[in-house]
Amino acid sequence: MTRVTTTQSEDAKSAKSKAPRDAFGTASKLTRVFGVAAFVLTSALLVFALVISPPEVIQGESVRLFYIHVPSAIVSLYLAFSITLVGSIIYLRKKSIFWDLMAGAAAEIGVIFCAITLITGMLWGRPTWGVYWKWDPRLTSTAVSFLLYVGYLAVRKLELPPHVRRQRAAILGIISFANLIIVRYSVQWWRSLHQGTTLDPVDTQLDGSMLFSFFLGMLAMIAIGAWLLVHRFRVAWMEERKAEQSLAAAIVERQSEGRS
Amino acid sequence: MTKGDSLTDMNLTPRELPEQKRSYRNWIICGIFLAAGAFVVTQALGDAAVFYLNVDEAQEQKVDLADDTFRMQGTVVSEPETNSSGIIEFTVGWEGTTQTVRHVGEEPTDLFAFGQSVIVEGRFIGDIFQSTQILVKHSENYVADNEDRDGVGV
Repeated sequence: MTRVTTTQSEDAKSAKSKAPRDAFGTASKLTRVFGVAAFVLTSALLVFALVISPPEVIQGESVRLFYIHVPSAIVSLYLAFSITLVGSIIYLRKKSIFWDLMAGAAAEIGVIFCAITLITGMLWGRPTWGVYWKWDPRLTSTAVSFLLYVGYLAVRKLELPPHVRRQRAAILGIISFANLIIVRYSVQWWRSLHQGTTLDPVDTQLDGSMLFSFFLGMLAMIAIGAWLLVHRFRVAWMEERKAEQSLAAAIVERQSEGRS
Repeated sequence: MTKGDSLTDMNLTPRELPEQKRSYRNWIICGIFLAAGAFVVTQALGDAAVFYLNVDEAQEQKVDLADDTFRMQGTVVSEPETNSSGIIEFTVGWEGTTQTVRHVGEEPTDLFAFGQSVIVEGRFIGDIFQSTQILVKHSENYVADNEDRDGVGV
């Protein structure tokens, strides 16, 4: 009896200390690390991209958009949507809800960064090419990707039995990835207005402090993306728990109805 | 739930679904979609997605093009001259072929200059290519502007 009381009070104590964070928050040590890193790296990026790095010999100041445009494209199209692909494959194979939610969270982050890529690209296109938009292969395929993943997010919101919805989303999450291969090689396969690959791993076409600013931009975007991803995933996880709990509560309610 | 409760005596074990067979079929459907997509990309789109013709190709196809509007790509090989009515005249070259361009549209960006790659949109009028839009291409090379250099980005 005494033992039971102790356990109960311990439970109460641990529940009390854990409750505010675990039950109602999405923060953790990990998100704090990502958050601080995102803040520090973004601050450094501002200094390097806007002040320290030089203007480009032909483009002038507008080259500074490179340090946001390219990193956000890589984070969106290659990292975030790859997580969606992996999550979708694992979901289909193992029916893991964790990976289904991870795929969805990553797609949301990817869509945001894809929008940033499109917007910064348009802002860059006007002073360079003379137009905000042209239906060239790289621009078109990127816009198609954006729409595909918006569609993917829409499928995730369909009013379907959860396992059907998850499966359809996962299939779309896999098919949509094929278009990213087109985005990647569009500037090599077809003639385009958009410039070719600058960041060739073998032969990078970027001068010293420009390259450093780019790497800072890359790290900053990865930190921001990871930070948002963990938070978004936890929100989705809690929504899932809530749905489960309301289902369990509804079952109990029906059972008690049946008894009375 | 207490023992003896009639509701808990129900068999609540999830029923076995013929899942294996269905997911196998889905993979085949996915594969067909991907193969169709790959075909469209490599074959069909390849021809349709010609964003521009190079100067030499445009001249070869001049008869077929007649007065169609198309895009032509080349390097500006003469110093562009702007006359009093705002018409810009210059020559673009590609693979040893050159073409005179008369631009009557909106002014191009500051990057437009001798030596720059451009895509001009317009049509042939006699021997002259009349352009309504100049798109300035930029290479994938980024070179820092040195401090001792005059002017930035011109």
